[in-house]
Amino acid sequence: MSEQKSSVLSSLEAVKYLFRKPKTIKYPFELKEPALRYRGFHLNDWDACTGCGNCEDICPNDAIEMVEVPDLEDRPAEGMTNRRPQINYGRCCFCGLCVDICPAGSLSLSRDYLHIHFNTDTFTFVPKDEKSAENKFLPEEEYSVLKANLNHRRQDYEGFSQDLDFSLFEPERVRMPQVPPEERKLSFIEQVVGYTKEEASREAARCMECGLCEDACPAGLNIVDYVGAIYEDDPDESLREIFEDNPLPAICGRICMKHCEEACSLGKQGEPVAIRWLKRWTADVIEDYKSSLELSPAEDKEKRVGIIGAGPSGLSLAYFLRLKGYGVTVFDSLPGPGGAVRIGPPKYRLPLEAVEKDAGYIASLGVKFRYLTRVGKDVSFTELRDNYDAVYMAVGNFDPLSTGIENADRAHLALDFLKRNKIGEGIDVGREIIVIGGGNVAMDAAREALRLQHIQYSDKDVMTKTVSLEDWDEMPATDEEVEEAKEEGIQFNPAWGPKKIELDEEGNVRGLLCTKVKSVFDEDGRFNPSFHEDREKLLEGDMVIEAIGQKPDFSFIPEETFQKLSFTERRKVKVDEDGMTTLPGVFAGGDIVNSNLDAVTAIADAKVASEGIDRYLFPSS
Amino acid sequence: MSKVGEEITAHFPEINTHRIDEKRVEVNTDKGYLLSLLNFLKDGGYDHLGLISCVDRMEDGVLQLVYVLSRYAQDESVPGPDPTLVVKIPLSREEPTIVSSMGVFINAEPYERELYEMFGIDFTGHPRLDPLFLERDYDIPPLRKDFDTRRYVTEEFETIPPVED
Amino acid sequence: MEILRQRDTGPTTRELELYFGPQHLGMVGNFSITLNVKGDRIVSAEANPGYLHRGFEKLMEERNWIQNFPLVCRVNVIEPGSMEMVYSMAVEDLAGIEVPERGEYIRCIYLELSRVASHLFGLWAYSKMLGFETVGGWAMYHRDLILDLFEELTGGRVYNIYIWPGGVRRDLPEGFIGRVKRTLHEIGGKVPDYNKTFFENRVFHERARGIGVVGKDEAKEMGGTGQVLRAAGQEYDIRKVDPYGVYDEVDWEVHTREEGDAYSRIMVIRDEMIESVHMVFKLLKDIPDGPAYNKVPNPFKWRIPEGETYVRLESSRGELGLYLLSDGGQRPYRAHFRTPSYPHGLTVLEKALDGESISDTGNIMISLYVTAPEIDR
Repeated sequence: MSEQKSSVLSSLEAVKYLFRKPKTIKYPFELKEPALRYRGFHLNDWDACTGCGNCEDICPNDAIEMVEVPDLEDRPAEGMTNRRPQINYGRCCFCGLCVDICPAGSLSLSRDYLHIHFNTDTFTFVPKDEKSAENKFLPEEEYSVLKANLNHRRQDYEGFSQDLDFSLFEPERVRMPQVPPEERKLSFIEQVVGYTKEEASREAARCMECGLCEDACPAGLNIVDYVGAIYEDDPDESLREIFEDNPLPAICGRICMKHCEEACSLGKQGEPVAIRWLKRWTADVIEDYKSSLELSPAEDKEKRVGIIGAGPSGLSLAYFLRLKGYGVTVFDSLPGPGGAVRIGPPKYRLPLEAVEKDAGYIASLGVKFRYLTRVGKDVSFTELRDNYDAVYMAVGNFDPLSTGIENADRAHLALDFLKRNKIGEGIDVGREIIVIGGGNVAMDAAREALRLQHIQYSDKDVMTKTVSLEDWDEMPATDEEVEEAKEEGIQFNPAWGPKKIELDEEGNVRGLLCTKVKSVFDEDGRFNPSFHEDREKLLEGDMVIEAIGQKPDFSFIPEETFQKLSFTERRKVKVDEDGMTTLPGVFAGGDIVNSNLDAVTAIADAKVASEGIDRYLFPSS
Repeated sequence: MSKVGEEITAHFPEINTHRIDEKRVEVNTDKGYLLSLLNFLKDGGYDHLGLISCVDRMEDGVLQLVYVLSRYAQDESVPGPDPTLVVKIPLSREEPTIVSSMGVFINAEPYERELYEMFGIDFTGHPRLDPLFLERDYDIPPLRKDFDTRRYVTEEFETIPPVED
Repeated sequence: MEILRQRDTGPTTRELELYFGPQHLGMVGNFSITLNVKGDRIVSAEANPGYLHRGFEKLMEERNWIQNFPLVCRVNVIEPGSMEMVYSMAVEDLAGIEVPERGEYIRCIYLELSRVASHLFGLWAYSKMLGFETVGGWAMYHRDLILDLFEELTGGRVYNIYIWPGGVRRDLPEGFIGRVKRTLHEIGGKVPDYNKTFFENRVFHERARGIGVVGKDEAKEMGGTGQVLRAAGQEYDIRKVDPYGVYDEVDWEVHTREEGDAYSRIMVIRDEMIESVHMVFKLLKDIPDGPAYNKVPNPFKWRIPEGETYVRLESSRGELGLYLLSDGGQRPYRAHFRTPSYPHGLTVLEKALDGESISDTGNIMISLYVTAPEIDR
């Protein structure tokens, strides 16, 4: 462009635009449609929102506050709280970090951005979406921009929403190295290898610290803190946090039913933080708990407590009470600690060393153990009550149930099978094994049987199958167990009911005759199976294992005392809020009290009882 | 060590330099060397004072001045960009004084005023060392670490009555 | 002119102190200048910043690494993109985060579009100041078209909050490339009209030539960067000298002028705008597939190792730097923005106003592209 051309008249070039259509939008008669990613007011799907509060924590302007909504149900086991975010639009800067960090993916921003109101208090608002607040989201013809406000919004107007590839959390967990099925089914090698330090730190780094897991954990562990300590590379601190509520980290780090992971907010769209395996990492990486924890019992209280059963509940109570300064003696009929976790979980899931490690630490605090001592036989229950200031019953469910079908006496009972194999003299298995049951014990028995087959018939074809009343979707075993059993080649026969164990001419087991199941539960939801009597099939096999459940054995309690022991409707021992039964000074916990039938709930019971016993023996303090 | 780093140490043996990465060289010195170092660098082609900043290292009792210098006249003999120099000078937190560098770089003027205001550093020889941005008085210079913003805001502004309807 | 000057500086004229701003039609943002005048000539000028001081640097020390990211763009409303970029570059440098290739391309496309939007804003301010309402209207309209693109890409029109550590916040929406091209064609098609009505207009030439001259050496001495330096003949652009993003992978030119006056600065802005449009076309052609973002660590746990850095980039107004220091914690220990308007508004402006007419105060200030919010921070 040369300077000679410059002229005052060149502006007149613009005159031609006088005759063109103007570009200006005639607002508000003509509206400009916001872009599809527009960041306007919030939308929150109340059904998906867990109330985890990550939005509140990330908000750079403190615009979000979690408020309790009394109409909503608090369901800690599912990781759902009744809190929902409330947004103060006087502070909000519409950055959308809350959307990018929402692990449930419930928060998004709409394309609405107009709020016309005379009262500034209306800025504070608890967002919902169209599903939960239908009347506030209007179709085009009913919407008027002149009335636009937070309660007068447009339908189908979602704007900026979450994209998992660009989210501020990591939906995938660090893969846990596992021994592949072809290899692990040949021996009792521990299946889960365990995280390395780097992997544990990376997995711990995923935790968003919302604490939903802590509400879901029956024992209320400080999960956020102990996972956080792993991230901070402080395993000692992690162990100390765990031991506040749970003295069995090596056991629980392997076989816990991980209610916490069910609740984890990251599990809503992705995989929950591997809380159980992180606990295991802490327990495994610390050789000697004692030097890390530096705990010692309080001053001697000169009171003694007898505990029946060295299972998770008994061990935990022994730990809690010993630290309070009580003299504690634990009685168990088995030769070592662990109770149900000693004999139940197969070695590939829970090696005995892990049980010994946890129990060894508790013993080192000065707890006395009397193994191979059966209460009711070697020492009487009454004697125990007389000799100890309080007694805790944590005897578990050890009386196996049988199907009672024809020739049921020829079947093995799962608990005996597992016990003989794990801590007993061993067992010879058949080449084609049928396991009756669809629960976790059935899976343990089947997978253990398969390994024994591979060991005992190393060069021959072997087969293990399970048969259960329940169909795939109702099977009580965890999905993980079923999946791993399938990987190892176990055959499943769901929705078949055992009818008769067939024998051949020589009296050997030949197979199991089954009937097709119509339904397992009746209309009232009670267990009451019905069958298609005309549909039968014979499962061939030379060995049958029954794994259909266990019940407690109270024969150690003298009859007249037993009469005074109350039970709940579900046939559980009835205890008060202190964990005390209807027998004064007798407390109870574990599988005979709770319906979860798992280790962590047993520990939770022990925690309650430890406080209860303290109050019972020292009412004033 | 970079070329410029070597030049500095050759000229000032007491000053240590350290290459942070290919784009940055750190120079640690004390306040006595400031003017001679800046003059030396300016003569050597570091003609652009990018920034004067300060970091309050409260635990060490030090206010660390940071001068960022770069070379706007490119040195053709060196391939790639000339490194940016980060000159660091510690000052005592109790009595932070240093000579003004306005004589070397004119644009040090507002930076020094800002640091005087925000950190309470006294630049001797500065012609108008008065507050640049703020209009209120503060007992602690506001960018120092011990200035509690939240408390200040609460004390100062909670007393202002809200606007009536 | 000579006669006027003699009369103004005559002995009978009293020296007055004149307060210019902080609200003045001829300037952008809240910024004031105390002018000492004799007649209509400025004897000396003193810049008074602080009207937009929001204490961002102190605030940043209270927020974690991710929470800071929606904050930094607010330092400068004219071109928030470069603010996001400089923060992201500093964090990436300290934390050792790699940005995927596609992410870098999208960043550069977005930054160049921001540059155009920012320059159009500057052109609006400048032409309005000279009374060219029509050109101002066009510039604002064309800037709005780019803001429409931003809205589509990022969800926000001005505070896009788009570039973040690790890449960009979302990938390009479907059909976006086509719409960018269409918008740029529309703006490009208007260049002849801009030239005719404004850049070739005698009024502009008369008002801008020889006004607010800042020579090359003077500019360097006073910390001038960007157009201030390039309009005075120094070919210096950080995108060339110290490339970041993918500026070294595309072919483009640095534009300079020799005179160092308001006219040259505005013409450099014009040339750069056109260059940026061309650059966007080239970038759009070469943009690779792949991820646009490398996830950063969990924001509630993210700690950046102890260290410090100074990063710089070429914003639409000159060198934008960030001195960022981490003590190994979850928050910056210290952040200090080196904004281009700081020396331009506080040092260069005072000097450039000396001896000029009062009526040219806004003219000079806008031609120096002084943007008050980034001075005050």
